[in-house]
Amino acid sequence: MLKKRSTLALACALALTLSACSSGSNGTTPDATNKPANKGGNQEVGATDTPENVTLRMAWWGSQPRHDYTLKVIEMYEEQNPHVTIEPEYASWDDYWKKLAPQAAASQLPDIIQMDLSYLAQYGENGVLSDMSPFLGNPIDTTNIADTVVDGGKIGDKLFGFNLGVNALGFQYDPALLQKMGMSDIPDEWTWDDYMEMAVKAKDAGIYIDTGMRAEVFLAYYLRTQGASLFSADGTQLGYDDDQLFIDHFSRVTKIVLDGAGMTPDQKAQLKGPEDDPAVKGEALGIWQWSNQFVGFQQLAQRDLAMQPMPGPNRQEGMFLKPSMYFSISENSKAKEEAAKFINFFVNDIEANKLILGDRGVPGSSVVKDALRPELTPQQVQVFDYIAWAEENSSQMDPPDPIGAAEVFTALTTVAEQMEYDKLSVEEGAKQFREEANKILAKNK
Amino acid sequence: MNKTLRNHLTGYLFISPFLIGFLAFTLIPIGASAYLAFTDYSLFGKSVWIGLDNFKEMFTSDSKYIQSLKVTAIYVFGGVPLRLAFALFVAMLLNTATRAVGAYRTMLYLPSIIGGSVAVSIMWRNVFGDEGIVNLGLRALGLEGVRWFGDPLAAIWMLIFLSVWQFGSSMLIFLAGLKNIPSSYYEAASVDGANGLQKFVRITLPMLTPVIFFNTIMQTIGAFLSFVPAYIITKGTGGPLDGTLLYSLYLFRQGFEFFNMGYASAMAWVMLVIIAILTALVFLSSRFWVHYESKGGS
Repeated sequence: MLKKRSTLALACALALTLSACSSGSNGTTPDATNKPANKGGNQEVGATDTPENVTLRMAWWGSQPRHDYTLKVIEMYEEQNPHVTIEPEYASWDDYWKKLAPQAAASQLPDIIQMDLSYLAQYGENGVLSDMSPFLGNPIDTTNIADTVVDGGKIGDKLFGFNLGVNALGFQYDPALLQKMGMSDIPDEWTWDDYMEMAVKAKDAGIYIDTGMRAEVFLAYYLRTQGASLFSADGTQLGYDDDQLFIDHFSRVTKIVLDGAGMTPDQKAQLKGPEDDPAVKGEALGIWQWSNQFVGFQQLAQRDLAMQPMPGPNRQEGMFLKPSMYFSISENSKAKEEAAKFINFFVNDIEANKLILGDRGVPGSSVVKDALRPELTPQQVQVFDYIAWAEENSSQMDPPDPIGAAEVFTALTTVAEQMEYDKLSVEEGAKQFREEANKILAKNK
Repeated sequence: MNKTLRNHLTGYLFISPFLIGFLAFTLIPIGASAYLAFTDYSLFGKSVWIGLDNFKEMFTSDSKYIQSLKVTAIYVFGGVPLRLAFALFVAMLLNTATRAVGAYRTMLYLPSIIGGSVAVSIMWRNVFGDEGIVNLGLRALGLEGVRWFGDPLAAIWMLIFLSVWQFGSSMLIFLAGLKNIPSSYYEAASVDGANGLQKFVRITLPMLTPVIFFNTIMQTIGAFLSFVPAYIITKGTGGPLDGTLLYSLYLFRQGFEFFNMGYASAMAWVMLVIIAILTALVFLSSRFWVHYESKGGS
């Protein structure tokens, strides 16, 4: 008898362990467990049409200012939609992608995922993102958003991400430091030669010219100005045949570092975060980055900063408008419709965009854009003007990066680092990168 | 129901929490990884059987893999002996202490408790930074500062120092071993006129060999698996110039950054084989140098 009872107790304990296990693995998608319970709840209340409670997980990357206002937007949405709870998951760019990959493999992706152009194909083509075209019109209102903006999230005929705004590359700098270098302004139609001369002046003034250029982004820009591209159209090899283009670009970047006008890789490796950036602390003239990052840069630096278009020649061929980022809905989401509703709020709601203020790219909605104008600080107006200017002075962007792009970028970063440490000549670097990149891309054949 | 069967069932039920955990979190993943090692698996898509291609690529055309082996070899063969020597040294100091031994022991063990943590790695970044306390100290001594983040060899030593600093667990085991050596041996040696060094070489070391043996194996395995410090200190890159690209860090990058999960699984199995071979070698060598008191000496 005693034995039987203890067996029973054990069985109970076991059942508990098991259920604990299962809730552990499902704990991250509470909507799955909440739903049936709430259905029951609704029946009890009767025929009121209160919507079912739903919990959405939402993930994004960014720095502190972005985390702060995004949390406020979420709060605003939750107040207006009391049945929705949004669980934020945010990280820095690097950590974000490392966290997302295993979640994707486990079908545990958050419902709403901030997505980037360079990963859109990788995630979209592998079927972990859901096609959002059914949500266009309702609930995602696209009346005021141009088709080209929406199409920026398409791979083939599937919409894997909803464009949150547009971006353009540029040089964001501190005019006061420019004066310290003995220059009143940067000529509008500047060239790479001007840039190299400025680097010398910066060094003489005891500051860095910049904090380096993200290897793949600026190589791609330069290749575009020379009528080539980083990846071939089918994504099975590099898109330029002449290594001289690689050599031209990286000779400049490497020279800046080796001459002491820019940061060495080990100095960059020691930065503790965006707050620690020399450009923020006034130790470097500026940063090469996307226009949407200007807002955050401005907030951290708390000085008057300016934006300068990319150097030429052939700037118009090189410049392009890039979907700064997307919100995607995961295929494993149990509440895609609700996720789409939130995305609609995010891109169309004026009050929400007064918090966002173009940090995720200049909004696609013309109504939102106009409504924001009076709210903007002079610097933010600069971003909007810059995009307006870029719309007239840019070319069609390259197709989304092929699968394996992340590995190619790492190979490029490694090669760039070796050149900046002077362990590898630029010519050898060009050859080595071509070999490694083509080996990775050949897998797409 | 058959009575023996029922008895067995009850028994299994008792250990079922462990069994289920073991199956779900250990055995099945191990099996899956063994299968994936022979496939091309991108983490999202389907796995495609490619036989031994992953292993072939590792040893023939992946220079980063060879680099990661080299770095790991430096880390293990440089770090483990240093760590053990340091642990033994501290254990002997503690063994001579007469008062507040417990307090010292706790204090010295602290770095190991917070050991693998992110916070320590971040602190280490700052300690070894260009303007960190180590370089300031070197400059105060009239030496030149070292570019710990710029020189691949310096960078791996920075990681080794971190592992040496976390000597606590080996130190405790050594301390227990030291306490087990009968003091009569030392007294007899003193009577015969042996000095401190002679006592250490002739008594302490031989008597400690079983403990050294145990520590060597455990620390070697632990060093091979080391991941967090390299990941945090180099921001996940294994830089500079792949100088700190420890094996498990490269494995992680292949699996979760480049989405080559099949390749990463194959790497994991090669690591298992390497660790097994090394452990076997240490075991085989043990009969030449490990002295067990209970066997009456050999």
